[in-house]
Amino acid sequence: MSDSMRFDVMHFMPYVYLPDNHKEFASTWVNFPNRYYDPEKAHGLYQQYFEQLVLADRLGFDAIVLNEHHNTVYSMMATPNVVAAALLPRLRRARICVWGVPPNFMQPNRLAEEYAILDVLSEGRLEIALPLGTGMEYWANSVSPVTARERFRESLKIMLQAWSEDGPTTHYGKHFTYRYLNPWPRPYQKPHPPCYIVGTGSPETIELAAELGFGYSSVFATQARAKELNDTLRERASHHGFTLRPDQLPLLTFVYVAETDDEAEQEYKGHLRRFYEDFARSTPQWLAPPGYISVEQLKIRAAGSDRLHGGFDFDHIRESTFVAVGSPETVANLLGEWAERMGTNHLNNVMHVADMPHWKTTKNLTLFAEEVMPRLRTGSPKPAAVAG
Amino acid sequence: MSTFAKQTLNVNGVDTVVHTAGRGEPLVLFHGAGTVDGFDFTEPWTEKFRVIVPYHPGFGESADDPSVDEMHDYVMHYLELFDALELDTFHLVGLSMGGYLAAKFGVEHCHRIRKLAMIAPALMLDAEHPMLDILALPGEKVIGALVKNFDVLKPRLPENPDIDFIADRYRETTSLARLQWEHPNDLKLPRYLHRLKTPTLIVWGAEDAIVPAAQAAAWQRALPDVTIDVVEDAGHLVHLEKPEVVGRIGDFLSA
Repeated sequence: MSDSMRFDVMHFMPYVYLPDNHKEFASTWVNFPNRYYDPEKAHGLYQQYFEQLVLADRLGFDAIVLNEHHNTVYSMMATPNVVAAALLPRLRRARICVWGVPPNFMQPNRLAEEYAILDVLSEGRLEIALPLGTGMEYWANSVSPVTARERFRESLKIMLQAWSEDGPTTHYGKHFTYRYLNPWPRPYQKPHPPCYIVGTGSPETIELAAELGFGYSSVFATQARAKELNDTLRERASHHGFTLRPDQLPLLTFVYVAETDDEAEQEYKGHLRRFYEDFARSTPQWLAPPGYISVEQLKIRAAGSDRLHGGFDFDHIRESTFVAVGSPETVANLLGEWAERMGTNHLNNVMHVADMPHWKTTKNLTLFAEEVMPRLRTGSPKPAAVAG
Repeated sequence: MSTFAKQTLNVNGVDTVVHTAGRGEPLVLFHGAGTVDGFDFTEPWTEKFRVIVPYHPGFGESADDPSVDEMHDYVMHYLELFDALELDTFHLVGLSMGGYLAAKFGVEHCHRIRKLAMIAPALMLDAEHPMLDILALPGEKVIGALVKNFDVLKPRLPENPDIDFIADRYRETTSLARLQWEHPNDLKLPRYLHRLKTPTLIVWGAEDAIVPAAQAAAWQRALPDVTIDVVEDAGHLVHLEKPEVVGRIGDFLSA
């Protein structure tokens, strides 16, 4: 995994101007009052974030990754395809990854069309992920969480049919009826852009990715759990007759590079803390609306503590999840070791979190591109333990 | 004291648990969208009636059936259960969502209901006095809103709810959400309520924080033969807070 290592930058585009009294709210999702959203400030943030992503493109990152969330300060991308369309003309070579729009909140033909347009506009540089959507999104949209999984499966079937078969075709299902499924335009890439499933590792979702031969990216899993999920997925995919390539298992990491380990930690820690404590702050009710998970899954999840939507323990997070903070050498060694262990050559790096200022983000991106990428693109990295 | 006998019947593939006690004319209870309140309050009725308490599919001790996803499926389920129990006509009492189900059953099959009593029937749209959207609230807030005097509910709840208790509530809320996440109210029921000609008693706690007692007026307008009994100083679970209403319902049914 030397020259073929792929580096993506994922941006959440948070709305960073939290009101002084925000701690009075149990959650910054779902019902966090939108009177605190100031469109003029949001405009400035979009400009800043776009500048960061354009810089990433110029620095040689392989892809820009966007995603969708609703009713929250965590993300300003309620409709990421709009953001992708605005960003596209400013990118020169990076792929654009919408990872992704939960199909459940769209008509599936309409989502197939939007993705096809982005793929045509970008001359086939689009990649997509198909998420179920977090529990929080179901409080914000008029779709039942109880039937979310079956509806999701049906939507995927319709989208793949729309892309892969010459139209018009028909679909008569439980949730959707198409008498003339015949979308114009069709994707630039044949039969369709590369697809991934993104999830927190529920067995239903893993099985779905395996069945379809899609890539899979687990989000906010511990290192041990993510390894387990990748192994399960490879095994299940091969059961369904697919051999997954390493790049189909993108590894989501949180990365911050500075001149030294100490400086990196100093400059980063506070922002990661705010990410966990303020931007990802949610409640058990928002995380699991009725029927969103099975009763068995509810018990399993309750048994393990939820490290994302709650408290902050930097050392614990660093040891148990994929957070690489340090000098170029430290970061390169960690990423190299993780990639090897996870059987991937595809790193999806979150390089801006919470209220990180522009200068830190551009520094992070620049140091990563100039000092980390070359270390990972040539030669095999040393074990992290040796790198201090 | 009567002891309830428990039986499990397979009703069209769904293991359905039914508790029965007492002798006399049959009286069926439809419970509400949660089962934490229990059914021991029906005890006084067992002196005059054969009290039959089934658990709805997806609630309490009965099994789940994800294909039961609208209220009419419950009407069909009960037609089949009553066949299995060889019940032709019976008295019917419905609590909250069970009251709504009783009305839904009644507009189609009122000739089978001898007399009907409803306690704070839910889910009928009354735009002027909307019911609390319990799906939007955290579980502990819903439980707090069930009664005016929490002391009557407290002994029925675990002191420190464990994951099994929470999972049971999650399951029942899921069953409710299956029916009404996307459409919380039945806009059509009022159109057909005139068909429910059965003599009916509606009991309502004046301080019901879940379904406002002011909704009683809409039922009064819609039902041909109805008596409304609004009970002061009580909330949604008026039958627990004011046990005398249990006696009044029994008297109404047996009169």
